[in-house]
Amino acid sequence: MEEWRQIFYHAMNMFNVVIVSYFFLANGTYTLLMLMSLGSVWLHNRRLSYQGLDELRESAVTPPVTLIVPAWNEQTVIVDSVRSILRTDYPSLEVIVVDDGSTDGTLSLLIAAFRLVKMDLIYRPRLVTKPIRGLYLNPRIPNLLVVSKENGGKPDALNVGINVCRTPYFCTLDADCLLERDALLRLMRPIVRSPINTVASGGIIRILNGCEVQDGKVVKVGLPKTGLERFQVVEYLRSFLFGRTGWDLLGGTLIVSGAFAVFHRETVLETGGFQSETVTEDMDLIVQIRRWAVHHKRKIKMKFTSDPVCWTECPSSLPMLGRQRRRWQLGLCQTLWKSSEMLFNSQFGVVGLVSFPFHLYVEGLGSVVEFLGYFMVPLALLFGMVPVTLFILFVLLSIVYGAFLSVGSVLLEELTYRRYPSFRDLMTLLWYAVLENIGYRQLVLFFRVQGVFRFLTGFRKWERVVHVGAATS
Amino acid sequence: MPFLIEHITEAVISMLFVVLLGTGALVVAAIARRQRRDKYFQRIDDLRQRYSPVITSLLAQKLEYERGLAVLKGISGRDHIFVLEQLCLEKRPTLDQVPILRRLCEDLGLVKVWQHRLSGRLGASTIREALGRPGGLLERVARLHFLVRAKASDNLGVIQHRPSWPLLVKALDDPHPDVQAVAVRSLAAIQEPDSFAPLVTRLHAVVLRPSTLSLRAVKTALVSFPLKQTVGLIPSLNHPNRRIRFLATDIIREIVERHAGWEEEFVLDTKVFPPELSDVFLSQLCFDENPDVRARAAPVISHLEDPRATPVLLTLLEDTQWFVRLHAVRALAKRRYLSQAPQVAQRLTDPHWMVREAAARTLLVFGRVGSDHLVSHFLGTEDRYSREQIADEIQRAGLIPSLLAQYGSGEDGAEGRVIEQFAQMGKTSYLVSVLQSSSERELRKKFLQRFGRYPDPQIRAWVRHLATREPDEELRALAEATMRGAVSKGES
Repeated sequence: MEEWRQIFYHAMNMFNVVIVSYFFLANGTYTLLMLMSLGSVWLHNRRLSYQGLDELRESAVTPPVTLIVPAWNEQTVIVDSVRSILRTDYPSLEVIVVDDGSTDGTLSLLIAAFRLVKMDLIYRPRLVTKPIRGLYLNPRIPNLLVVSKENGGKPDALNVGINVCRTPYFCTLDADCLLERDALLRLMRPIVRSPINTVASGGIIRILNGCEVQDGKVVKVGLPKTGLERFQVVEYLRSFLFGRTGWDLLGGTLIVSGAFAVFHRETVLETGGFQSETVTEDMDLIVQIRRWAVHHKRKIKMKFTSDPVCWTECPSSLPMLGRQRRRWQLGLCQTLWKSSEMLFNSQFGVVGLVSFPFHLYVEGLGSVVEFLGYFMVPLALLFGMVPVTLFILFVLLSIVYGAFLSVGSVLLEELTYRRYPSFRDLMTLLWYAVLENIGYRQLVLFFRVQGVFRFLTGFRKWERVVHVGAATS
Repeated sequence: MPFLIEHITEAVISMLFVVLLGTGALVVAAIARRQRRDKYFQRIDDLRQRYSPVITSLLAQKLEYERGLAVLKGISGRDHIFVLEQLCLEKRPTLDQVPILRRLCEDLGLVKVWQHRLSGRLGASTIREALGRPGGLLERVARLHFLVRAKASDNLGVIQHRPSWPLLVKALDDPHPDVQAVAVRSLAAIQEPDSFAPLVTRLHAVVLRPSTLSLRAVKTALVSFPLKQTVGLIPSLNHPNRRIRFLATDIIREIVERHAGWEEEFVLDTKVFPPELSDVFLSQLCFDENPDVRARAAPVISHLEDPRATPVLLTLLEDTQWFVRLHAVRALAKRRYLSQAPQVAQRLTDPHWMVREAAARTLLVFGRVGSDHLVSHFLGTEDRYSREQIADEIQRAGLIPSLLAQYGSGEDGAEGRVIEQFAQMGKTSYLVSVLQSSSERELRKKFLQRFGRYPDPQIRAWVRHLATREPDEELRALAEATMRGAVSKGES
């Protein structure tokens, strides 16, 4: 019995060490990323004053881009979305909407709204996809093409778009997203300006809930009504403004949000396009391109920029939030598992040595460690292995550190873009940045652990998040 | 010293204290920043309200210049330069506003300030002074001076300040890539003829050595110069480096295409395009060992008023590289090459689909003559790929409705055979959708009589629809009879 007791004590001690080191590793890295991003985003914001978007808009050398919009049962938003997309400020733009076998009126609404005609055009697939059912065009709107295909999921729909696309770059855009009018120009700027082949460029995703939309354009930025949505605003700020900016600065970008990102078409074709093996096809593609570049000895660059804005609706109910976060976590685990050769592989530079291990241990497995911590540490307290004072102090530290990072992201927003104009909104954001760590963080952690569990049990289904139209018009 | 639990507790308390303090500091910083910005924007808004109408009236020449200038000179304060800059450059000036704005910036002393800043002469200010105006701190941090230099360079470009071009050329060698890139852009905006050569030199440098400056940025700048400057690219066209030759050719192509976009029947005459440059294109570049050069030379050659141009283009039409043929076919898409329609039509059977596609599009540009060639090729060719490509272009160009209209109103000629060909190829979606929305009774009747029994599922569905839903009795009866006929034919 004594022996078992010893083993238990030993295991508990070990776990406590794991928890503490996880705490320092995660928060230390986040603090570093935050500090780096503070400088980087501030500088980027300053540089915008001489960015020269007009020149990019008017130049004959600016490469043409195709916006690929995969759509599945999007009848509530699709027509307005496409109308708004067609007004995007870009010199040479084509739009391809891929209807992924919708069972609602998505296709018929598009046909009626844009007077499209089914045409029997040549389809030259370079990526294997589900069969297409038809191509719809209006000769008077030559830059809009709608493709109808059998349902095969988002990656399959995107691959059909790539097959049909004729431009050197394409931009993926979710059907329920709203682009700021010059967002594509801003997203293309690092590609045009870079002396190195930039194969992917991602922009910032902001939350549409609570904003006022008119004619497919955000006219007034505001905070959403419910706490759940407000927490997500803070979370998105943290994730995009200092998470992605920090990794970009280190050259360790592993995630570019597929809701709004530009890719170099030939590179994507060479890497085999979007894969259906994972439920986060965007991250999977980035990792795939990184591996391809190393294996083929290609010098490439991926860029995250914080000023091109795409507005998206975040889940406004717990079940939908759960679906979204479980999928993200499942996709993260699937992608990391699939590309395990990158782990501590110096060939991949910063990505292999820093970014990949961080995403694996902190973003992937970290959720389980943190989740278990919520049970094991109190258990250790119960068995008298940790003094009560230390336990309380550690819990406090963890909450305060979380608040520090979230408040940091709000400050970052304040120092740079200040999208939320009212003082009241700022105070609300700061308040929610503090509150986020009591309750919301644990809730999201629970969903993430579910995602890890699903990965371990081989679950692969894509859980659809249904949007309710939380923006006012 | 033994590692005691008390030590851990102390460490955690210290950390907690530091993080708590840090969080508080961040909150205070966010609030203070907001208040400061609000105050600042309030001031800017007030100034904007007072002075923007003055600037607008000045630019629209609705206010006497001297009076307006005097009003603007009344703006004072430590940040008056910054404020004036904000007010003057708030909106991008139109072409006719640029000279007034330039004069205004000169008279307000802004140009001098920008020139000083661009040349790195930043006014030494105390910390207090620096804090008193936006961007003031930048001047005190040497590593951030590039932001000031780049902005100054940008401003000089916006007002197209010609006398500043030597400074901007000097800025091409600035240690920071941002300043270089903005200088390139500003030089492009100013378009001083003498700055073309330094930009060409920069283009060579970017190609030949690793550079922080993007090739596209330099190319964009060169492309924005007028046509007469292209003569300055002759040394690049003769350069031993194949990439430089390609870029020079492509830059000239872009400039020529831009001018061609302004005039319908644009021709490169000797006034803007000297004979020595034409000669390089007609005797050298079209035979260059680099196929990219040959490809990019074709569009330029197509605009030359030289008897050698057409034979050269026809040679390029037969090039071994598909993309050279592609560019040659596209280059011929001008009404003045109408007589070359048979040669273009030959490319409808090109092994590469993009060339076939371009050939079909070029023929459509030729109007009736071109479409006749297209139709006769469509009806006569045995090449399946060529036929598919033409069917594609006919649909994309939206020709099906007019084809059906002609078929419905006229004799059963080529249109009928084209429609038959479409039906045979199973490309009936567009045809049927036009028929479905058409109210032309004669057209529908004629189509029904000729193609109603065609074994095509979409035509069959349309006939079925007519047989059940058509209000016109005669048409409905005809559709029913067609259906019955098709069924009995199928049964037998």
